[in-house]
Amino acid sequence: MANSPAKPVANEPAELDDEPPRKGLMTKLSTLLVETRSVMPSAGATGLSLVLVIAAMCFLASLALGAALSVSHVTSDWTRDLSGALTIEVKQTDAMLPEEQIRAVLYVLSQSDGVLSAKALDHEDMKTLLEPWLGTGNVTDDLPLPHLIDVRIDASSPPDLDALAQSIIAVAPGAVLDTHRQWQDQLMSAARAAEWLAYAVLVVVAATMVAIVTFATRAGLSANREVVEVLHLTGARDRFIAAEVQRHFLHLGFRGGMIGLVLSIAAFLALTLQGGGGATMFMMPLSGLRLEYYPALLCVPLAAALVSVLTARITVMRTLHRLL
Amino acid sequence: MRYGMGPEVLRDVSFHLAPGSFHFLTGPSGAGKTSLLKLMFMAQRPSRGLITMFGRDIATLPRAELPDLRRRVGVVFQEFRLLDHLTTYENVALPLRIQGRPEASYRDDVRELLAWVGLGERMLARPPTLSGGEKQRAAIARAVVAQPDLLLADEPTGNVDPEMGKRLLRLFMELNRLGTSILIATHDHALVEEAGASELVLKGGRLTIRG
Repeated sequence: MANSPAKPVANEPAELDDEPPRKGLMTKLSTLLVETRSVMPSAGATGLSLVLVIAAMCFLASLALGAALSVSHVTSDWTRDLSGALTIEVKQTDAMLPEEQIRAVLYVLSQSDGVLSAKALDHEDMKTLLEPWLGTGNVTDDLPLPHLIDVRIDASSPPDLDALAQSIIAVAPGAVLDTHRQWQDQLMSAARAAEWLAYAVLVVVAATMVAIVTFATRAGLSANREVVEVLHLTGARDRFIAAEVQRHFLHLGFRGGMIGLVLSIAAFLALTLQGGGGATMFMMPLSGLRLEYYPALLCVPLAAALVSVLTARITVMRTLHRLL
Repeated sequence: MRYGMGPEVLRDVSFHLAPGSFHFLTGPSGAGKTSLLKLMFMAQRPSRGLITMFGRDIATLPRAELPDLRRRVGVVFQEFRLLDHLTTYENVALPLRIQGRPEASYRDDVRELLAWVGLGERMLARPPTLSGGEKQRAAIARAVVAQPDLLLADEPTGNVDPEMGKRLLRLFMELNRLGTSILIATHDHALVEEAGASELVLKGGRLTIRG
């Protein structure tokens, strides 16, 4: 050792320059994927398992979100289809012949605003409608069938259905207006329930993730209590420590989210390939996720990263506040 | 002060360190030297009594204001307390990084300081691979790197040979000359004599000033 208090040589090899400052979008993206060295030791063993748990959570969340979007799409389709159609059933009565009743009803309909077309179904039409249910050749001519009138209405400015029903009854005592409303209401409430269920799954998944990240953050902090104390004594604010910890959880959350997203996309694609022939489940078309909904799934890893960052931050701030 | 419900470790301790002064803190093992230092770098709050640092009463100081005060104090811990997952360079640069300074602004200073304490070749080594003396020098470098207003050192020359001890003492004196107040807890009487600074002697929880 030299004894003179001389300035030491500062020409060190450039070993430390392994991370030259890079700028731009790619850097920002890569900071999301590649974790930079933190002052807090990364959780190590808990890291991988945490990523897997978050991946599983995000997989479920993506499925639920995809299901919710599909259901809501299908129900809006139904609403459009069904609210454009009415059926009038003409029953036999003693007072009038069915043909007379039909003629009278068609006249009333032709006078009503908002009715686009009305067509009485003849025997052949009825046969086509019933054959899938009764079997070909089983619809005989002497089968007593009700007479039906298929009415198309303008869904954007529909006629007053109550008034229409009244005036139809007035001219044809055996005619009943079926607005499909009851059927539609039941179907819609079932679909809405399914949609809400999917959203509930999303909420439960998010809550579970908050709980898991809180637990992992606390465990990480207590495992690194010594580090936290040294940082505090060196003058670190809670904010600094929280920033170091939450950076770690940003990566865990985002990585887990991406894995979950990829798995769920694979699942939806598999459904598309398998159910391409128009398979249905509970009357929902099982043709996988519509193409326009795939971008929406990208929200899942972003939300996962956001949830884990916020949770970690809040947990750290609350835990550190109890220390000196 | 006392730990939990235990007996009072320090009592009737009253002293004032002038800015820019140089003191040693001596006394037998268990006299409370480390406890006194802990109070001074705010790792513990006193159970009673008044401790004023830089004009602030640290017993009643709001928690949010501690970091600012702690940044003015450099500490060499008896057990070093280096962060094992960081390199020696990163450990020494830690106080600067905590202050939010960009790395480019201090990289050369930190390297220079590391070379000065003889760790120029060990910059990328992690503390578990350092010898006791190397750890001690890294801990000292970390304590002085931010040029604190007050340096508290607990047995800073306990693990180095006399030659290195003298070299470190010169580092402390150099720092003192630049305006830092120094308080060094030590058993090393040769060091005290070499520096010729005044001595605070802790014994039985009481403090006397010599020199």
